Amino acid sequence: MSGLRLMLRSPLKERLDLGAAFATGWAAATSADIARREVWSARSGTMLLGDLFSVEGTPDGTALLAGDLMLAERVGAGLAEGFVRVDGDVGDRAGAGLSGGRLELGGNAGHSTGEGMSGGILVVRGSTGNRAGSAAPGRKRGMAGGELVIMGNSGDETGALMRRGLVAVGGTTGRCALLSTIAGTVVACGATGPDAALWNKRGSLVCLGTVEPSATYRYACVIQPVYLRLLLRRLRDVHGLPVMAAHIDGRFRRFSGDFSETGKGEILEWSPA
Amino acid sequence: MKIRGVHIEDTFAEAFTMRSARLVITARSARWVREAALKLTGFATSVIGCKCEAGIERELTEEETPDGRPGVSILLMVMSKDELSKRLVERVGQTILTCPTTACYDGLPDAPDRVKVGGNLRYFGDGFQSSKVIGGQRFWRIPVMEGEFVVAETVGMVKCIGGGNFLILAEDADRALAAAEAAVDAMHGMPGIILPFPGGVVRSGSKVGSKTSKTMIASTNDAYCPTLRAVTTTALPDTVNSVLEIVVNGLDAAAVSASMRAGIDAACIPGVVSITAGNYGGKLGPHHFKLREIMGRASA
Repeated sequence: MSGLRLMLRSPLKERLDLGAAFATGWAAATSADIARREVWSARSGTMLLGDLFSVEGTPDGTALLAGDLMLAERVGAGLAEGFVRVDGDVGDRAGAGLSGGRLELGGNAGHSTGEGMSGGILVVRGSTGNRAGSAAPGRKRGMAGGELVIMGNSGDETGALMRRGLVAVGGTTGRCALLSTIAGTVVACGATGPDAALWNKRGSLVCLGTVEPSATYRYACVIQPVYLRLLLRRLRDVHGLPVMAAHIDGRFRRFSGDFSETGKGEILEWSPA
Repeated sequence: MKIRGVHIEDTFAEAFTMRSARLVITARSARWVREAALKLTGFATSVIGCKCEAGIERELTEEETPDGRPGVSILLMVMSKDELSKRLVERVGQTILTCPTTACYDGLPDAPDRVKVGGNLRYFGDGFQSSKVIGGQRFWRIPVMEGEFVVAETVGMVKCIGGGNFLILAEDADRALAAAEAAVDAMHGMPGIILPFPGGVVRSGSKVGSKTSKTMIASTNDAYCPTLRAVTTTALPDTVNSVLEIVVNGLDAAAVSASMRAGIDAACIPGVVSITAGNYGGKLGPHHFKLREIMGRASA
């Protein structure tokens, strides 16, 4: 059987930092190499990945992690190559610093999923906590590239401090999506929470559901943006988000803002015919 | 070799290396796609006088375009990389940017060599432009009075072949034209080629240089002009009274060969005496398309 399979030997009893598992070149690593990689927990200190997971298979650039990883943090952090798939839920900061490859999380993910991403594709089949695609603690700039696709809902401050890249949410977003963003795009297929795109410089918030622009935005026009056809078709065809033909062919109300910043950002609100 | 009674000369078409971009132009309707494409590819028959050679490769369905709208694939060819960027910016800027509802995409996304198009045109946005990366490609959104113009930041550039050709020697002008039209119809829409001249046909084939002017880099191909039969060294059989040329540029030799085969075969109709090709003894370009090899599978 090709590809690596990491099966959790027994349920985790403490929070675990799995960040080192795939952070450096791993696509050609054997199961033994991967098993020797060190992970860390606050109580137990450094451990070998092979102590926690049975690692099997032959390297082909893919890896599957199975087991209850709710207590595992930074799953797939620093991934730069290959395809890592996780069956089930994961803890906070999954995919942090992702710069390439593809990380697919089969369940829900905790807070700060995809924080500081600069490339690659991160797909969350379930929902995420707060600050998905945002900045790492202490950093001024958040996501700088790549695609973070959340099939379910996302929490507060989705895409906060983004500089580039795309966050697409199949469901609803919490408060303050696109907060203090320099540039980049957040697409919300469901309702967008209050205080959206505050202090946004040049970013785009695309709302296929409801949104209430803040008073620091100004209505500009109704438009059918061609670039949205590219973007929405990709989200539908490549990622399977609930984008309808009526969205792709639809008209959008454009609001410019945030005028407490440069005013070069936008909120695009889909207007049903 | 004869095909349906038409003599195929034992000669070759001599072609040269060029650089090409493939643009995918879309618009809200087929009408505006066509308007944009005709303007973009207008006055682009020969690098001799037009600085580039361009043509419509084929029409694209809504399913084939990046934004799901009607589109067209266009090949634009020049002699150097620097020229390509200049010509693209000029032509896209003046004919696609200006045309209602259009967008301009890269038709060679896998080509490692890139030239800027949107990356230069963006300055028309006067600071109001913005960019988006979608699927790994950067696009510029340039605000215009109608709404927005979307253009790829860069397009791929590949080496290609210009100057594939064949000449149709016919008993009269009507039959030469009918044969040329049949050839163009057969070649139309074949992948990877364009026919840059009007309707795909050239009546004024040229030779290198001039007898009367040192500044002329090309002048009439007097050996194939029927009116000059008596005053020059003619290449025309006695029964030939009109000659038309088909010029084909392609992304590779296989595409040029395939289109020439289809075109020559279609041109072999009653009234056509022979098919020959233009060459300069092998001194002009490295690509030699030997007519009899190309037509080898046709009936002899």
